[in-house]
Amino acid sequence: MNSHAFASLAHIRILLVPVGSIPRNTFEKHAAEIRTFDSIRLGDIPADTKDERARFMPSPLSSGYLHLSFPAHPTTSAHLPLSLFRPSHFTLGVIGIALCSRGNPAASALEQFENTLSDLSSEDSTFPLAKICFAFEDDGLEGGTGSNVGENVSGLVVIPSVMGNKKLYIGTLLADLCSQILGEFGRVVNVLETPLGNEYLNSTLFPTLPTSSQMPPPLDSDSKFDSVPHIPSHSSQPELASSNLTAPSNFLLKRNSSSGPGINSSPSTNPHRQSTLGIPPVKKRSTAVGAVSPHGRLYKVLADFFLLAGRTEDAALWYTEAIVLFKAAQDPVWHASALEGMAIASVLDSWSAGHGLQTSISNANEPWNDVYDRLSQSILLYMRATVPFDIAQDYSLLAYIYTAAVLRQTSLLFCVWSAKGWGALAFTSMLQPGATSYMQKITSDNSWSNLERLSTVTGISRSQIANVLSQAHGPWLLHLGSHERLTVLQSIASIYACLGYKRKEVYILREILSCLMDLVVCGREENDQLRKSDVGGAIRNLDALGGDEGAKIANGSVGIRQNESSEGNQSILRILIYACRVLGVDLESVKIAHPGNDGHLGDDDDGMESIISEEEEAVAESFGWPELQVGVVREAIAIAEALPDHLAVGQIALSALKSMHSVLSIGDQHHLYQTASRALAITRRRGDPSAVEYWAGRPILSIAVLPLPLIRLPIEKPMSALASRLSTMNPILTGVTDPFLYNPRKSLAGKGKSILVQNEPIELVVTLQNPFVFELELQSLSLSTTGVPFECTPISSIVIPPNSLYPVTMVGTAPSPGILVVRGCVVQAPGGAAREFILPLSTDGEEERLSRRQSAIKCESGRTKYTGLDSRPWKGQKRASAVLPPTKKASRFLECSVIPEQPLLRIRWTSLTHEAVMLYDGEKSTIRLTLENVSSLPVDFLRLSFEDSTMAPAQSALADGELSVFETYETEYDLIHRQAFSWHGDKEITDIKPGQKVAVVVTCLGKVGCTSGAIHVSYSYVHRPRNGPEDAVDVFHTRQLTYPVTVTVYHMLECYDMNILPLDNVDDLVDKGGDELLSSQQYLEQRAEWCLFSVDVRNTYGLPFEVTFERNQEGTPQASASSIVPPGSMSRVTIPVKKFKLPDELVTRAIPTLSDRQFVVARSSLSSEGEGAQRELFWYREELLKLVRGHWREANGTRSGEVSLRQQRMTLPMLKALRTDAVRVDMSLVQYDQDNSTPCLVEHTKRKIHPIPNDIFYLRTEISNTTTSPLVLALDLVIDPQEHVIIEGTLLDIPLGRLEGGDSQVIELAVCFLCSGRFDFGVEARMLGTSDSGNRAGIGRLRTTVREDG
Amino acid sequence: MSHHLFLLSPSDTPLYSLTHYSTKPAQTISSPLSSNLPTWSTSAFAGTLTALSGASSATQSHHVPGQGGGVRMGGGQDRHVIQMIANASLDIIEDVMRKDGTMYLKSVDKFNEWTVSAFVTPGNMKFILLHETKNDDGIRSFFHDVWELYLKTMLNPFHTAHSPIRSTVFDTRVRASAKKYL
Repeated sequence: MNSHAFASLAHIRILLVPVGSIPRNTFEKHAAEIRTFDSIRLGDIPADTKDERARFMPSPLSSGYLHLSFPAHPTTSAHLPLSLFRPSHFTLGVIGIALCSRGNPAASALEQFENTLSDLSSEDSTFPLAKICFAFEDDGLEGGTGSNVGENVSGLVVIPSVMGNKKLYIGTLLADLCSQILGEFGRVVNVLETPLGNEYLNSTLFPTLPTSSQMPPPLDSDSKFDSVPHIPSHSSQPELASSNLTAPSNFLLKRNSSSGPGINSSPSTNPHRQSTLGIPPVKKRSTAVGAVSPHGRLYKVLADFFLLAGRTEDAALWYTEAIVLFKAAQDPVWHASALEGMAIASVLDSWSAGHGLQTSISNANEPWNDVYDRLSQSILLYMRATVPFDIAQDYSLLAYIYTAAVLRQTSLLFCVWSAKGWGALAFTSMLQPGATSYMQKITSDNSWSNLERLSTVTGISRSQIANVLSQAHGPWLLHLGSHERLTVLQSIASIYACLGYKRKEVYILREILSCLMDLVVCGREENDQLRKSDVGGAIRNLDALGGDEGAKIANGSVGIRQNESSEGNQSILRILIYACRVLGVDLESVKIAHPGNDGHLGDDDDGMESIISEEEEAVAESFGWPELQVGVVREAIAIAEALPDHLAVGQIALSALKSMHSVLSIGDQHHLYQTASRALAITRRRGDPSAVEYWAGRPILSIAVLPLPLIRLPIEKPMSALASRLSTMNPILTGVTDPFLYNPRKSLAGKGKSILVQNEPIELVVTLQNPFVFELELQSLSLSTTGVPFECTPISSIVIPPNSLYPVTMVGTAPSPGILVVRGCVVQAPGGAAREFILPLSTDGEEERLSRRQSAIKCESGRTKYTGLDSRPWKGQKRASAVLPPTKKASRFLECSVIPEQPLLRIRWTSLTHEAVMLYDGEKSTIRLTLENVSSLPVDFLRLSFEDSTMAPAQSALADGELSVFETYETEYDLIHRQAFSWHGDKEITDIKPGQKVAVVVTCLGKVGCTSGAIHVSYSYVHRPRNGPEDAVDVFHTRQLTYPVTVTVYHMLECYDMNILPLDNVDDLVDKGGDELLSSQQYLEQRAEWCLFSVDVRNTYGLPFEVTFERNQEGTPQASASSIVPPGSMSRVTIPVKKFKLPDELVTRAIPTLSDRQFVVARSSLSSEGEGAQRELFWYREELLKLVRGHWREANGTRSGEVSLRQQRMTLPMLKALRTDAVRVDMSLVQYDQDNSTPCLVEHTKRKIHPIPNDIFYLRTEISNTTTSPLVLALDLVIDPQEHVIIEGTLLDIPLGRLEGGDSQVIELAVCFLCSGRFDFGVEARMLGTSDSGNRAGIGRLRTTVREDG
Repeated sequence: MSHHLFLLSPSDTPLYSLTHYSTKPAQTISSPLSSNLPTWSTSAFAGTLTALSGASSATQSHHVPGQGGGVRMGGGQDRHVIQMIANASLDIIEDVMRKDGTMYLKSVDKFNEWTVSAFVTPGNMKFILLHETKNDDGIRSFFHDVWELYLKTMLNPFHTAHSPIRSTVFDTRVRASAKKYL
């Protein structure tokens, strides 16, 4: 910045160089002391010389200042042509700083100083004009070198350490030095004033002062030294012989202190002298041909010197003169330079005139407009200036002067702007930019309002400054030497930064970077000699940038790193990262992990936050210009590769992949990934301990514990289940339905906790994802668990295919029981550091919160609150998070409970082949299972449970509740009493020792519809040795062996049409010589007490079966009826059953439910009578099925089984036939003799009565009450055919009255048959007082055949 | 003579870009300063970095600054540089936009040979036009045309403020308008 200070034209540059072996910090200390003198009063300058040197000396009482600046390095020799055009650009004085001590006397210091100087400047250089060496005495040598002070060698000043007011002394010395310099100015002007000097001055665009050797001898002998002495020093008037200087000379007369050039050359001398000089005789301008060289340039040089000498009035005067001449003579570059000088002179005036505070208010026109206009004019002139010959150097110089002018104008505006107006602060910052800290102040408070406040105060807008500044940027920058280019760009960038124009700053920073890298690379490629000269600028420039590049670049030949300091590299990377951040790419989104921290996140919250933020990043819209971002990232990688900093290459490439992979093309992604892996491999090979963090998004999608195989799966049961098992109802009926419709515990219990077994392999499936288009390689993957220890070998080198999910199975064991918490996974990418990714279980609340958050973000995504740079993703806008702050709840993780070791059984042998059973319907067979204990633990608990394919439909039908009560009972009966599998060995097996074998016998029943089944063997080691009472647990775990069985049941016998008939109806059957069984006397005698059970059995199978029905009735001998049913045919089996009557209290009982189900609401819509009838039917049927049982047997085989009658329904007629009537009715036909009143039965043969017609008989009906309760009865008689019978009395409603229990009553009715034939009599006893239907108490029948013969 | 139009979303992402080559002859006001050297943008980017980064873009040719300007570039037409300039001009646009309420910011920035004019819609969309010559009325009309077309595109309920404009109708109409006014 220093070189582009606004007032640099008025600065006398004095170079400070270290001499000899002076320590750096000592040098810095003394240099800082000297640098405090940024200006020297003119009055302090000793002006005792009387020769031509006195011309620029201040008058003793003048009140101006000399402005000094102390650069750290000399002007490059490439700029030497500017020496007359811009003397202020050069170091006019040199101060050597030496340390003199006993071992290093002052004299040797002087010698070293001379050597240093000769190294710095070439011989033909005019500069430096003055030099001095300050030899500071070492503090430790008090008094030792006191003699040296008086020695006072010329050009060497020894400053003793004991000196009290050292500063004052230095000030005096500096004034002396300035005095020398001013004297030298006079000498230079003197030379230029000669005609030859003027010729030189006008010869080229950027002339140089001829060295003494180049000065032709005639000049020396001619007039130079003769004429010089007579010029008076202070009050000298210019001896202007030529006519064109008359006008200013009048004006100059008033000024006693100004001295003009004494030009007394004649135009005629010009042509031949030029030719002798060897300067190209081409004329610049046609106007100059044959004319005298104009004096404009001379005046301008004069003015420049006056400006440097602090005599601004003289300077302004001569500038004005020069400008007048330049306008006429078309010398745009010098013209512009003169304008610049004018501008600075006026600013200096304002500065010295009371620091210009008051003037700022008075003028309506802004006071700096004048200066500004002059500068813009000069910039325009520079811009248009043409270079007469294509001399590359002139282009370079012109471009440099142009950019310097633009920067000068910019810094005018900028200083006024930043100093809040045209005032002392502004002047100070223009004159001595280093002394003020306004720039820092602005940079520290870079808010818009602050910057805008400055604009309103000063009336200079930022865009105005930027527009002025942007003129400096252009292709001409290429003309500049590398050092100049860097300083110019750096100045531009820092001003943009101060203005808050970050994007523009970044634009320039990218140029700076490419310049730097150009130097770095060129420095390596070229040979040592070239490198030294070329890179020198870069080194110094980096000092200015703040990064101490030092010798790194200079020594940076490929492969050898002589300097371990990477500070320079780091500062280049810092600039790079800053530039990328402004463009919206966070090159540090992947952090560098240092070996100290091992990548485990200690805190859950951190993990959660990072997860959340990553999720949000995914949702939030991207910022920036993708094409630019891709470009800048490429550039960044190239820079980092060129440095070379391989770790940074990896970091940059991976950061770009991480944050921009949605924008990057496929090829770019591949390229970045390969670059990164290559760079990281190099880093590793070189043994760098630091590595990049894991970068590839969130690789873990889910972790799931693979369920154990069924035979190993432990099932948790409460201990109480052991005790209360027997009392509970049979669970088969209900399945495992819960009594509650909604059981919150159940859904909770099913989630999250899986049961694992100690010391047995546990498998987990980790699902990984790869969102990129290339194959992602993971170096290692291991589980991160807490709780009980978990031994799991990490998986190494996984390659995930592009854009896909990838499951990985990990196997481990838990050596001790307890709770195992799987937090997540630790993932490591190749060459990177390991990082843990935790995977909390998402609770409902959390899920909901997340989704609300995401929808909030989505809702906001279309709208923008922050624009431009504020909308960069890491700007930390709290919009969404402010709406829904994340809950700080402890996150839950995947938990598994590891239970103690469990025994393991296996089925060693079974009696089945291919696990298949073939059965006939109703057949029973056995299955034999041999179990073996293959574990080292005993089994002391064994249960078998069964399952078959008929159970589930029945259970669901039951659960539906749509069945009628009767059907429910049937289904339940089927489930409980007719299980397909059963085991009756509960108590047999109590203990299976390790290695022992045990046989289990299971009974298998053929049920139609059963196709498959399963035998579940639950076993456990319950009674473990306990350490103490506190160790008692309330749960135990069982394991289950399942043996599936395929069942085939042949349905071969079907029962149809169960029927029960009253026996008296089967006379005909008997007559026809039917069943022997029926014809036995027993039944015939008491036929009213018996009924006949019959059922049709059909054989649908291919083999004959013998079917037998047995009757086991109390009070009767056992009877059976059997029949061989051939294939395809049907046969009826009948068996008499004695009628019975169930007690009322049994019959009226409700149909029971076998399962004690709760809340069973009767659904039947039957009336109470209907319900009563149903119950009666039910109970009689149950009784009947107890009495009668069916069996089948293979006709010519051994297999046998049961025939089930439960499919058969009972109807009301059947019930009536089966049930004993309440009233027994016996009918007989009697005849009374004439004499006695004793009735005698009508004779009958073979149970048939044969009365004769036309005789009187009595129909005798005896009614006896078989119940215990009294009945009120009436009789109805029916005679068929009635028209051939004469009766006495009524037939219907014959009252019987009340009949006590057990009593009987006889009613006689006289009848007379009118013809022969068959007559039927029927009697029905009715109970009075009950409803119409179902009040029949009993019936009787009598059949007579009336025959003539009797 | 070329014009470069960029439609930038509030998050600085280009939604649409157009390069229009007008039939009018390009009047080059090149300064003598910039003669005898590779033109504009090469100074900034066609340096070592281009060579190092292996950039595939063929428009950039390799040139090491300081070794003399031999290679002439595509006359500052390098796309990346154009984009950089457009992006950098956002600084001034944002600044000026906050102070002036106007939508049309005439010649708001100048960088290298380019003049930047901008148009800021009420929805904070920024239309940025890089042009070389003064054509105030034409640019104003062009911007109004583009704005109208943009509004019609935004009427589409499925189009958000951040999604790139890929409508061919929009493209052809903008091109037609550019042909008419620029």
